[in-house]
Amino acid sequence: MSKNYEEEIRNMVSDILEIPVEEITPDADFFRDLKIDSLKAIEIVAAFEKKYRIIIPEQDIPKIRNLRQVVEYTAPLKKESHT
Amino acid sequence: MIWDKIKIKSVLPHRDPFLFIDEVIEIDGTDRVVAVTYLKEAESYFKGHFPGNPVMPGVLIIEAMAQASAILFSLDRPEVAKEHPDYYLGKVKSEFLAPAYPGDKLIVESKKVKFLDNAAITDTLVKVDDRIIAKANLIFSIKKR
Repeated sequence: MSKNYEEEIRNMVSDILEIPVEEITPDADFFRDLKIDSLKAIEIVAAFEKKYRIIIPEQDIPKIRNLRQVVEYTAPLKKESHT
Repeated sequence: MIWDKIKIKSVLPHRDPFLFIDEVIEIDGTDRVVAVTYLKEAESYFKGHFPGNPVMPGVLIIEAMAQASAILFSLDRPEVAKEHPDYYLGKVKSEFLAPAYPGDKLIVESKKVKFLDNAAITDTLVKVDDRIIAKANLIFSIKKR
């Protein structure tokens, strides 16, 4: 996985959550550790969808709970959307 | 008119004097609605905002945009809306370009950006006589009672 892509996502999440990049570690749980609510969650999802021109099905959203899972989940979709 | 006040009240929990949508005049599937708000001279907020120079408070223009967005949400998620949830604004990015005065007819347009069962994002705008007077991106939550 590209380190640049992971950093890009980390910065995006940091901007939306308004918390320092350092706190968004690969395994920090968005809901338990970073305390995001439904409003922040939809903001993150919409930002990903807009930037990478992908659609994240609603049923998949609860399964994506940390940065590592975001990268693993979105990387293949991002690749598809550019082919 | 596509929706009258009775139909609007069947979807929105708001009531007078805090119901700001009078009619729905366009519905494009679940992507966009256009609603109307008539600014009556007798509205109580005009008395104090401001004496001798009545203009509609910007926060109430946002409220009208939010109510139009809740109507749009109800079209996209009828199974959620039929439970009569509450709608709470969480984040607003707005721009006000011109005042709204007593007697104006506000055309309130809301477009879907992203909807989930418990949260939604819309892009909205308000026109008076084809002139855009306000724009806003709204993020709101939907909570069961």
